[in-house]
Amino acid sequence: MDDKPKVAERERLDLADKLRRAEETLRLPAVPPREHLPVESHVLQPGQQFRVVGERVTRPDSRLHGLGLTRYIDDLSFPGMLYAKIKRAGIASARIKRIDTSAAEAMPGVMAVLTGREIPVNSFGPSYQDQPVLADEIVRHAGDGVAAVAAVTEQIAEEAAQKITVEYEPLPAVFDPLEAMREDSPRVHPPNSNIYTSKVIRRGDVEKGFAQADRIFEGRFSTQMVEHVPLEPHAAIADWDANGRLTLWVTIGRITLARADLARTLKLPMNRVRMIATIVGGNFGGKNEITQEPALALLSKKAGRPVKGVFTRSDEFISTTTRHPCIMEYKTGVARDGRILARKVRLILDGGAYCSWSETTIGKACILSCGPYRIDNILAEAFVVYTNKTMTGAMRGFGAPQVCFAYESHMDDIAKALGIDPLSIRLRNAFEEGSVSPTGQVLHSVVVKESLLKAADRFGWETRP
Amino acid sequence: MPDVTIIVNGERRSASVPPETTLLKLLRENFNLTGAKLGCDVGDCGACTVIVDDQPVNACLMLAGQADGCRVLTIEGLAKKDQLHPLQKTIEESGALQCGFCGPGVILSAKSLLDQNPDPTPQDIREALAGNLCRCTGYAKFIKAVQDAALMLRGKAPVQSRRLEASEPRHG
Amino acid sequence: MKTFEFVKAKDAGHAVALLAKHGREAKILAGGTDLLVELKSAAHAPAAVIDISRVAELKGIAVTDEGLRLGALVTHSEIIGSALIREVFPGLADAARSIGAVQTRNLATLGGNLMSCVPSMDSGPMLLALDARVTVESPGGRRRIPLNELFVGPRKTSLGPDELLVEIVIPKRHLGKPAAFQKFGLRKGQALALVNAAASFWIDRDKNSFREIRIALGAVAPTVIRAAKAEAYLEGRPITLEAMIEAGRIAATEAKPISDFRASAGYRHDLTAVLARRALESAYARAIEKAKVHA
Repeated sequence: MDDKPKVAERERLDLADKLRRAEETLRLPAVPPREHLPVESHVLQPGQQFRVVGERVTRPDSRLHGLGLTRYIDDLSFPGMLYAKIKRAGIASARIKRIDTSAAEAMPGVMAVLTGREIPVNSFGPSYQDQPVLADEIVRHAGDGVAAVAAVTEQIAEEAAQKITVEYEPLPAVFDPLEAMREDSPRVHPPNSNIYTSKVIRRGDVEKGFAQADRIFEGRFSTQMVEHVPLEPHAAIADWDANGRLTLWVTIGRITLARADLARTLKLPMNRVRMIATIVGGNFGGKNEITQEPALALLSKKAGRPVKGVFTRSDEFISTTTRHPCIMEYKTGVARDGRILARKVRLILDGGAYCSWSETTIGKACILSCGPYRIDNILAEAFVVYTNKTMTGAMRGFGAPQVCFAYESHMDDIAKALGIDPLSIRLRNAFEEGSVSPTGQVLHSVVVKESLLKAADRFGWETRP
Repeated sequence: MPDVTIIVNGERRSASVPPETTLLKLLRENFNLTGAKLGCDVGDCGACTVIVDDQPVNACLMLAGQADGCRVLTIEGLAKKDQLHPLQKTIEESGALQCGFCGPGVILSAKSLLDQNPDPTPQDIREALAGNLCRCTGYAKFIKAVQDAALMLRGKAPVQSRRLEASEPRHG
Repeated sequence: MKTFEFVKAKDAGHAVALLAKHGREAKILAGGTDLLVELKSAAHAPAAVIDISRVAELKGIAVTDEGLRLGALVTHSEIIGSALIREVFPGLADAARSIGAVQTRNLATLGGNLMSCVPSMDSGPMLLALDARVTVESPGGRRRIPLNELFVGPRKTSLGPDELLVEIVIPKRHLGKPAAFQKFGLRKGQALALVNAAASFWIDRDKNSFREIRIALGAVAPTVIRAAKAEAYLEGRPITLEAMIEAGRIAATEAKPISDFRASAGYRHDLTAVLARRALESAYARAIEKAKVHA
């Protein structure tokens, strides 16, 4: 009698055990079952008081990163998904005479081919919309896309892209920004001048300042083009629904801007565009604008299937934005004790083939070009110039790193020539509470001198050999 | 199309793939193990690092057929049920990863190091991770995370808030 | 990558037979670290890729009657991990350690590095400075050639389309010879050599002079080369730092480097002098440590 419940219980447990084992063998052990993932509850109770500042917090995505479960764009796939490849021009400056996509279209497995003239509004960009999604008439740098293909495998897409033939008429090209500033230089966006943005900051009277100075120093500094090399390449997946709404999964840093720009190129109202941004595998400024997304969207529309596009590492170098190379000319008038009386700066930014974020970059570069120093007489002129090279755009610092290199090197040169300690000369000139920036902003919470002194103490400036 | 069989994370898996398929593609597309990443496709960045027969390799540089019959460990196979590997714990707690893309590769390279060298010096760690590029972090926290994991594996507690001292040699 | 036929070779003979069948249309897969990069950017695929990575007879590091034998499939990791090599030729381990990173060293093979025939190969100079010979198998059998006869030019070996590199042998009389390898790259890891150099010599105990001196240079000519003039200068000469410095200077004159985006020819000349001298110094330091002299 007593045994019946026990037997029943044991049978129930045995059955539960069997089911669990059966379920475990069916489950893919390569992916840890969700309920077995370590779950630690940091959930705060309603009404619970807590302190945040000073607390140690773990990043919410660290758990997923460590388990390898973070899903980046290339980790996503959808049924029937196609793969896109973009054919790059490979020539810096040319007119496109003819594009023949017939061989590509005839290839088995190729589901859609796209050229520039099929794009409703073939221009985009975060400030000037001067960049084509796919070049349809003029190629302005070797990384310009001229056609796009969607196929059932990446390999077929690549082969198809190679089979597209383009007839180019080479045009004169200019690669040096100084050359590009000249009147007789080839024009990258004719009939406009190659100088596409400029900025001037004036304060006081530099010539008077120079006249009053005890010494005048000049220096010329230049920095090179730098590529972000995010470990995750640019990637996106486009798909349409039966209501004509576009969904885009994309690794991008500015979704609202991207959505607006994309909708514009496709002549879609924005409420028909849904952008799902994923964890970005490295941005640094290079993923703040759309690149291939309009092309993927149109390929998807043509093919009736989701289309994924992932840039190759080579695409990353030639077809995504880079840091502006800068030529920076400084002229500074100083008093005998190293106080700066006047500074004249001329910045020439190599603006590549398209504007991208050059306006913001030139703004920052120009405003920051005199450094964190009190200067009464300033003339800072900055120009961004088109060249037939890879676009230059946003990259950590947006113009600040380049000018910082210049004005600090310049400061060291001046200190050396005057026989003044490099730290002292900076302390003598640094911003203070209430100092006015070159653009007239009154500065508060200024800790330049305190930071310099603290840093100098930390790394033993006084005891250096 | 040839059949390829690998023992991945302890489980035998097979697929029929074209000969030019890399091990990386096999793992990501046929077996849905997307932890190993495509960063450069030429073995320079290490984002595709997996452990094949106890050795870390670039999966993008191996053909699937080359890996036929091999034991492969990917990041997905590191945690066991409800237990994170010490490296996964220390990397999480130290915030050593930012975008996370290099993470699986770094963790596997580090695991392989700790399997062979239970008490690595910072220089040992740097050499072991030399094939894993990271654009976000500057690598410093990886070094500490690996040292802490080494301590945990030897049954000791990690040292709290250890800063890289200025005098520590940074070059070999 | 474009597709190809993938075949696994059972042994060296089978590999050679497959090579003979496909001729220039076949590629050998050993570690794959060079081959796959090549295949990914190639306009045309080879007809066949012959996988020799499991051929047991091509593996192994051992001392035989002939000397130190390294199978062509020995990986750089295996060289670094070999107690035998650390004992008799630590310079080979130094060279292996300087290649790529852990992941590449676990796959990449010594034979593959030699067959890539790039002037900057890291395994070439040390082996050349140890008079290494390589065994080559073809349908007609095996033959032995000195290592330098393998190299013809950048990415061009002297082997025919049906020939397979099987093993590398360092002659017995060199076992334990003081030797060292030096490399300079733009980084400490994952860097090609701007210049690399290796040196080996016995010390004549009576005169404390260089005996059987060999100096090899890489990345400064179309192939790895011997610095014959620097060798002639040192042979029989008493061992002094001044002599080593002068030998370095002479070796630099024998280098014919190019300028490229990594470095100028002038810089490479300077590097050659320094690295050759350092290789000599390092080999000497090893000799002192082991107190090995050639009677």
